[in-house]
Amino acid sequence: MKKEKVLIANRGEIAIRIMKACNELGLDYVVVYTKEDRASGHVKKALKERGSQAVYRISSYKDPNEIFSVADHSGATAIHPGYGFFSEDFRFARRAALRNRPITFIGPRWEVIRDLGSKINTKRIAKSLRIPVIPGSDEPIYSEIEAETLAEELFLKQKEQGIDKPSILVKASAGGGGMGIEEVNHLDVFRQVYRRIQNYAKRQFGDEGVLIEQCMRDYHHLEVQLLCSQHKEVVHFGTRNCTIQSTGRQKRVEVAPGFDPTIWEYPFDARKVLDDMVKYSIRLAEKVEYDNVGTWEWIVTRDGKPYLLEVNTRIQVENEISACISRISRQRGPVNLIKEQIRSALGEKLNFSQRHVSFEGTSIELRIVAEDVKRGFAPWCGTITRFEFPDEPWVRVYTHVPQDEPYEIPTEYDPNLALVIVWGKDTQEAKKRAKDFISETVIDGKDSRGNGIITNLSYLYEKVDEVLRF
Amino acid sequence: MSINLNDLLRKYKSHPYEDHEILAPHTGVVKFKVEEGQAVKGPSGQWLHRPGTLLYILEREKNPKRITSRFDGIVTDLRVDLDGKFVEAGQPLMLIRHRLNKQEITNRILKEVLHIFPAPERARYFFTPETSTKIEKGKAKSLSVKTGDEIVIMSLMKRDTILNYEGPSGVLYEVYFKNGDILEQGAPLFGVCLPERLPFVEKVIQRIKTEWDD
Amino acid sequence: MEQKSILDSGKYLVTLQDRVSYLADIKGGFEWGNLRELFERVQELRTNLFEYSERELLQQIHSLEGRIEFAERQVAKRLRPIEIVNIVRSVQRFTLLDILENCYDSFTELGGDGEFNIDPAVIAARATITRRVKNRLYYHQVMVIGHEKGMGEEFRNGGCAKPWGNEKALRYMKVAETEGIPIHFYIFTPGAYPIEDYPGAAQQIARNLFEMAKLRVPMISFISEGGSGGAEAIGLADMRLMASRGYYSVISPEGAAAIEGRIKEGGKVPRKLVEHCAEQLKMTAKDNLELGTIDRIVEEPPLGAKRSDFKFFKRLRYEMVRATDEVVLKTKSFRAFRAYALRRQSQDKEKVFNDEFDIHIKWTLSESEKDRLLEIRSKKYRAMGRGYKVLKRPFSKRLTRFWESTRHKYYDIRYGLLRKQSKNLQKILEEVSSEGSVIFKTVTESMRAAYDFVFPAPQKPAQTSQQDPLRRSIFMQDWEQYISPLANEDRTVTCPNAEKYGCKDLWVPDLYGEYSGVCPTCGHHFPLEYQWYLENLFDKGSVREFNTQIVSDNPLGFKGFDEKLKKAIERTRRGSAIITFDAEVLGIKLVVAMLYSDFRSGTVGSAEGEKFIRACDRARTTRRPFLAYIHTTGGIRIHEGTLGVIQMPRCTLAVREYIDSGGLYIVVYDNNSYAGPVASFLGCSPYQVGIRSSRIGFAGPRVIRETTGTDVPPDYHKARNALKRGHIQGIWDRREFRKNLFEALMTMGGPNLYYK
Repeated sequence: MKKEKVLIANRGEIAIRIMKACNELGLDYVVVYTKEDRASGHVKKALKERGSQAVYRISSYKDPNEIFSVADHSGATAIHPGYGFFSEDFRFARRAALRNRPITFIGPRWEVIRDLGSKINTKRIAKSLRIPVIPGSDEPIYSEIEAETLAEELFLKQKEQGIDKPSILVKASAGGGGMGIEEVNHLDVFRQVYRRIQNYAKRQFGDEGVLIEQCMRDYHHLEVQLLCSQHKEVVHFGTRNCTIQSTGRQKRVEVAPGFDPTIWEYPFDARKVLDDMVKYSIRLAEKVEYDNVGTWEWIVTRDGKPYLLEVNTRIQVENEISACISRISRQRGPVNLIKEQIRSALGEKLNFSQRHVSFEGTSIELRIVAEDVKRGFAPWCGTITRFEFPDEPWVRVYTHVPQDEPYEIPTEYDPNLALVIVWGKDTQEAKKRAKDFISETVIDGKDSRGNGIITNLSYLYEKVDEVLRF
Repeated sequence: MSINLNDLLRKYKSHPYEDHEILAPHTGVVKFKVEEGQAVKGPSGQWLHRPGTLLYILEREKNPKRITSRFDGIVTDLRVDLDGKFVEAGQPLMLIRHRLNKQEITNRILKEVLHIFPAPERARYFFTPETSTKIEKGKAKSLSVKTGDEIVIMSLMKRDTILNYEGPSGVLYEVYFKNGDILEQGAPLFGVCLPERLPFVEKVIQRIKTEWDD
Repeated sequence: MEQKSILDSGKYLVTLQDRVSYLADIKGGFEWGNLRELFERVQELRTNLFEYSERELLQQIHSLEGRIEFAERQVAKRLRPIEIVNIVRSVQRFTLLDILENCYDSFTELGGDGEFNIDPAVIAARATITRRVKNRLYYHQVMVIGHEKGMGEEFRNGGCAKPWGNEKALRYMKVAETEGIPIHFYIFTPGAYPIEDYPGAAQQIARNLFEMAKLRVPMISFISEGGSGGAEAIGLADMRLMASRGYYSVISPEGAAAIEGRIKEGGKVPRKLVEHCAEQLKMTAKDNLELGTIDRIVEEPPLGAKRSDFKFFKRLRYEMVRATDEVVLKTKSFRAFRAYALRRQSQDKEKVFNDEFDIHIKWTLSESEKDRLLEIRSKKYRAMGRGYKVLKRPFSKRLTRFWESTRHKYYDIRYGLLRKQSKNLQKILEEVSSEGSVIFKTVTESMRAAYDFVFPAPQKPAQTSQQDPLRRSIFMQDWEQYISPLANEDRTVTCPNAEKYGCKDLWVPDLYGEYSGVCPTCGHHFPLEYQWYLENLFDKGSVREFNTQIVSDNPLGFKGFDEKLKKAIERTRRGSAIITFDAEVLGIKLVVAMLYSDFRSGTVGSAEGEKFIRACDRARTTRRPFLAYIHTTGGIRIHEGTLGVIQMPRCTLAVREYIDSGGLYIVVYDNNSYAGPVASFLGCSPYQVGIRSSRIGFAGPRVIRETTGTDVPPDYHKARNALKRGHIQGIWDRREFRKNLFEALMTMGGPNLYYK
């Protein structure tokens, strides 16, 4: 491998994980940080390992110009976007590839990011490959008659399936992020809602296209982890279950594998569902010639039907629980997906195939956040004075919060404190270890009024019991 | 009144300056266009539409950006050693020593006379839409506030909280931030003048007007 | 002159002093000849009036008068254009109130009494004018509308009509129309007061022109000071007379000099340059008669008529009556007019001026005569201002494919390497799109734009599905996508609103490619070349240019303009600042006139006017909607003088006839649209729309500062303010131009896209 230098365009624990991966691969790296993050762990680690030449202060993590400016100045040859920020920004990836001094974007090629970045587009391609998607329109609807026919059909279908309270969602097709979405519980009010959303869409987005789909209620949120290379290799790393989420749809506890029929009973054949999801995900990946790590998000309803939601064309926070339970026959120890991602983006071949991959045990990820679970997960801010957690061989902790000095949580970012990855030889052991870890963790802190820190530790403790139960 | 106006005025007269640190807004290669000790001007024109003196050019991604002065003053502590070099965001480049004018002195003294409503957290602040409209229309000084009024929205970690005013009733006399500014905890948001203090405040303004030469 | 007493001499000395001052006015100061000495001499005589004996005094006065007369003869011998301008500007020159007092027998001012007036710069009056026929007096009722310079009266604003002053003028024109009486217009204006307050300088002038084009009464205009657009506001008449010492010009000589010399604001404009421009602009009565922009000259004394020149007023009255007669007679049978004209000719040959008329002619017209009046008016203006060239071999018609060659190079060099990779993705996209559909509106449209930007477009037609054409065509884009050549550079730019909205620096290939030159944060529109619109606004291959044989010329022989014109032609490979073409928007055929910035800043001269009129007529005969897309216009081309100005009434007339016949006329302003065109054939459209970030107005900030002495805010002319003031009907986003245009055509055009 030629000497590459990776610019890590992210902060916090993911930056630290990428640095470690670089170190292990023998790659050079530079990090960036903003004023608020000057005391952050990733800056300290970089200063310690590479000195001030590898650390650049920028105005914002979200300004691509800053990233490219530093990349050129520091001589970086590749950019790792982490997750969030530029990880799924096809324009950023495109600019990296097309500028006069091209830089390797560590992620899929930009065309893939763009095409799979659109849910509607993904849905259409999936449909064409006979991959199940949520019933409903896969293109914007402009005519009321068309809309009503579809709505009627969706209600009928739900009734046939014996769904107790059938309902559908009406969305502005140009919208996103929860804007312009309404639920319809009865066909009688459909027309009214449809017109309202249509008007809203026209006003807000200048396009009155509306999407209609079945409203899913009783379901689990699952993911399939894939790793692909530029040499048309596709390998999966099993499934994850990310059903435990905050009210704002933020994941809090994740488990790999996606279901465990050995400890819970499922109203469907769990193994088959998982296999199907993997099969479908690979089918889509092969079709679009996917070339990096990616996560296929699915929902599984009580009747055991998987529906493809979307594809996340990036490394995810929870990637490591999949890595934790994966074993590659010729390698020692678990896989490091970030390392594999970097290698793949730099054009290398995977040096294993699916038949070399086996799975062992269960892994649980806990996200420790300074938030008030009882008050709608409201973020807490202040200064952390003490942060202690047990050091065990079965746990890995990623945090940018220093353990040796007080740390003020930057108010501009979410108050994520640590990621905890626990492994056990089976689900029971993993659950027990997770609870043990939580019990032994101590976090002290004060806000500006002198009140003590609020974290979600007890919430996590309660939720661990529920994992994987449908 | 417990405030001694004479002392205050004396204090400002002995040192009527304020130093503004000029920081690089982002990364890039800096080229200075001023010299140490040079007098520079801030924006001018009725709508401040004519930019101030060109201080330096910051070039990033082949975009040479002209950075002009936002204050009148004298250039000091110019980092000539950085000329032609790549700088990081927030790098101090020079100071502009600005001589306070009547208006600014008035504002400063007012800060000590008015009831100041401070920022409860380090966060981004906005006026509520209604207050905002009134302020834009220049009607701030006739806007009376009392405890419980919704005046300001605090935006913290992407969540908005409406702040209710707490303190003596009076008129909203001064505003110390622009919509969307990030303020440090304790920084003044706005100043409320108690009705009975209005005459005193007018007196302060009058005295500065007569005793201060710009 | 006989002197009766020393006191009388004193009064007489005042008139002598006025005469010297007047000469100084004309010569631009006392430095010429012995003016200063003469002035001081008169001054001295006035101060020491009683020191002299009567005899001495008379002698002194006599000799002085002789010397002054000599000076006057010298000045009159050769009046340079700049001196004529000075005559017009002199405080001693006659004004409209003098005319009302002296040419009309009685008058009642309407809507004004000195300062108490919505705009004291504009006077409207009902008046009677008399005609003597064989010692019998006949009275005619007329409406008099004109500018009052009010020499010395500050509130008259020097005859600069405010927007509401022109609105008042229009109101009384309509009164005259209702009452069926002729209108006499008197033009005494250096230009309109360039403010945008409602109804707006430009828009009101446009409205006036639009109405005057078909006003059903005879209109006569008399020009003493015809300052461009301001003059046209009351200038579209059936007969245009001009004072022999008046001027009629597209711009003041000073203004022209500032532009020609590229003088910075506040800078001194060299006097020589001003004089040069005054000559080049061909602004005198004689010049204008030769250019055909006026019909007749009313003779003044050699040095111009002053406020008490009663002989001149008599002459003017006669000329106004005669002109009105002619206009009236032309609408009647041919023979009667000829007889009259012949009689007049015989009188013209006599050197002695006689203000007696042979016959009395009534000025009321029957409906059919009114129709004929309008017909004659239309013909008259259509025949004016044709200072263009007609080429035998027109310019290349390869309009739509101009970028073909550059495009290929661009793609090959830049993105050639990526071609292989693109194949597979492209296949998916195609498969997806072949199912056909509307999806491309929301997601894939922008996606595809980006896609095509990077990968060379395959040479095959778009696959379209059989769907409702109304919908299909909006959302389907052809495979070939025009990308601005501006996108071909790896650099970033800063949005001008960055400070206000926190816009990030934009990568140029993104900005000019996928974003269509629009800042994704604040929506600011960066200017794009006109070709972008040709490529992205209309259906592919539907643009067919016509009238390319009509090209700009230098009809006044303006010095140095030939080279400038040549450069513009070489640079743009076009013959004028306007492109007229047939095009289709989602299958709807329309005629388009496009003024664009690259050619002399989109200024309008004879060629542009002619092409516009022909496009307008083409739309009328083919019964198609007519779109005027103004990429940029800097106003009337000053190098064509009044031949340019006359395009304002000419084109407005064509527009009026198009709209009256049932046409749908839509004007879209982009970038910068200012002055004459906005104040006439554009501003008169019932549907005017601004593209975001465009500026629309009458005069730019500098001219406003220089004429009104006040500064305007930086966003004064922004489309949003134009909308707020009611000048435009909406603001369109460039990215939605095509869609909005289509919708506008569908909703405003009615079933046949044509009202009648």
